[in-house]
Amino acid sequence: MEILSNLFNVALLVAMIRTTTPILLVALGGSFTTKAGIFNIGLEGQMLIAAFFAVVGSIWTGSSVGGMVIGVAAALVFALIYAVLVVSFRANEVVVGLALNILAGGMTVSLLKAIFGTRGSVVGRGIVGLPKVQIPGARDLLGPSTAQLISGYTPLVYVAFFAVPLLILFYNRTRLGLYIRVVGEKPEAAEALGISIVRIRYAASLLCGLFAGLAGAHMSLGYITMFTENMSSGRGFMAVAILIFSGGDPLKVLAGCLLFGFADAFSLRLQTFGFPSYLVLAVPYAVALVALFALSWRARPKRIRETVETIRRALSVYPSGEAGRDAPLPRY
Amino acid sequence: MTNRLLFPRLFSKGLARTLAGQALAFAIALALGAIIILMIDESPVAVFMTLMRGAFGDAEKIASTLLQTTPILICGIAACIALRGGMFNVGIEGQLFLGGFAAAWVGFAFALPPVLHVLAAMTLAVVAGALWIAIPAFFRVRFGTNEVVSTILANYIATLLTSYLTIFLFKRPGGWSETPPILTSAYLPELFSFSRLNIGLLIGLALAVGVAAFFRWTSAGYAVTMVGSAPKFAEYGGVSVRRVGFGVLLVSGAVGGLAGGVETLGVHHRFMEGFAPGFGFDGLIAALLANGSPIGTIFTALFFGALRAGSLLLEVDTTASREIITVIQALIILAVSADLMMRRRGDRTGERRWKF
Repeated sequence: MEILSNLFNVALLVAMIRTTTPILLVALGGSFTTKAGIFNIGLEGQMLIAAFFAVVGSIWTGSSVGGMVIGVAAALVFALIYAVLVVSFRANEVVVGLALNILAGGMTVSLLKAIFGTRGSVVGRGIVGLPKVQIPGARDLLGPSTAQLISGYTPLVYVAFFAVPLLILFYNRTRLGLYIRVVGEKPEAAEALGISIVRIRYAASLLCGLFAGLAGAHMSLGYITMFTENMSSGRGFMAVAILIFSGGDPLKVLAGCLLFGFADAFSLRLQTFGFPSYLVLAVPYAVALVALFALSWRARPKRIRETVETIRRALSVYPSGEAGRDAPLPRY
Repeated sequence: MTNRLLFPRLFSKGLARTLAGQALAFAIALALGAIIILMIDESPVAVFMTLMRGAFGDAEKIASTLLQTTPILICGIAACIALRGGMFNVGIEGQLFLGGFAAAWVGFAFALPPVLHVLAAMTLAVVAGALWIAIPAFFRVRFGTNEVVSTILANYIATLLTSYLTIFLFKRPGGWSETPPILTSAYLPELFSFSRLNIGLLIGLALAVGVAAFFRWTSAGYAVTMVGSAPKFAEYGGVSVRRVGFGVLLVSGAVGGLAGGVETLGVHHRFMEGFAPGFGFDGLIAALLANGSPIGTIFTALFFGALRAGSLLLEVDTTASREIITVIQALIILAVSADLMMRRRGDRTGERRWKF
């Protein structure tokens, strides 16, 4: 019992929120491409390259924000290459995604050696980590142990969790969000509406790069300020697994990410209790696999229902709405 | 789209166009590679010459190139088999690790007569590889669970699992994250006295020819190809798409396990943590570059093997890191995948296999 109460306490919840953040950010990014009908296996690479350039950028500019911006820019470049090849050249998504992941892995190691002259990892050397946000008054109102649940995280933690409701609004209330969904679920309908599939998919891919970049920056500038070879260690792939069974819906993405965040934090916990680290490290991957298998059979018929509903909504909402003023619509 | 990538219209009007496209893609990839090499303050020419010298400098270097080629080739064949059946087996890396561990275990834990020992170890390696992909394969054909993601995730588990087995259960006393050495009766025969190059290369070549013949001349091979390229047609022709898909993944995993067995029994003579970094992925890239053709994979695997062997010297003679070859490989795949010379059809929506 004592072990149980040591395992499950506020510190575990805090650790869970921390470990959830990068995977939540990258999965929310992937939700754009998933909704737009692109199977983006390249999330891992975008995250990794962003993590590296965030470190480089924070050293160059001497500020964590500068690092974050440069990291995001690197991820955007990768997302753009991905979009050019997949959307414009219509190359195979899996091939391009895997190749970009391999490219990110090779490039970060090569550049690590070229810039820092080391192998493996880079620590210190003037890397500036993201600041921790203390919410004023939280400590007085909630007491020290509960306050750490909501206060004292890096800004990107808040960004990640606040992005979930924003994304729900984005998909349901904005034109771009709706277009992304139509393009993904029924490209023919999008064409009939005069929506440029190419342009929407580019937008989705770049939005995805933005979030993957933030996830990468959080990894290398968040709680640990260092870059290690292959430090994304499959989180991008776990995000893809989440996207497959969530269909890119922000709430389901959040639920899946919390599950993995918990598995991650829990496995780190178990390690301190003397369980063999290799088996414990495999726990999050195993959770991802089991969840993928267990939930995979449910996705199909629902997709068709959703598609029908979306088209109906797209056709009925816009003619009267303010947003539809300059949207190209079929004439009745 | 997938068909276009996997099956070039060889011996047709499109041949010249395809070859020109591939050549252009290669040129672009190498140019980009040169730019990246310049970015890290090295001369592309020097890097290229070092790579060539490291790969083909003398007999020993050539043997080392072939030694690196062997696992890439066998993994490439594994990928080819899956690609032909319309599947992406990205988990070859994991199958390689489990196969390697299984072979090593038979090698050091049992005392058997020479030839039998090798056969037993190889058999277990093959079984281990096939078992490792069996669950993802089952869910793929039964529920349509995307096999790309499930096999990638399985890779991480396989790597950690074999590390655990090696370090916690079978560690060589006094050693560092490696199993005891296998008995000499389980060694694969070596081809030359000056290199660890072994008959694994011949196994790989025989496998390539065998698999190519299977796809070219047998009706089962034709059925697999049709399941991969036109599943509805295959179904209409009375082929069980699910059963073939499952079988294809299983065989692919088995060959991946074989690659691991060859690597432990032929080269390292023990299982070590991280004993074969990236061979599975290199094999997949080699197969993609060869458009899923086993014979073509021989050449692409040789190319990648040469890059790998050359990169060892790169680390010694220049300041560039040997991972620069990974960058070059990835650039080549990206350039080839764009299929630059292809005439794009008018409709932009297209049917995508990878829609989940």
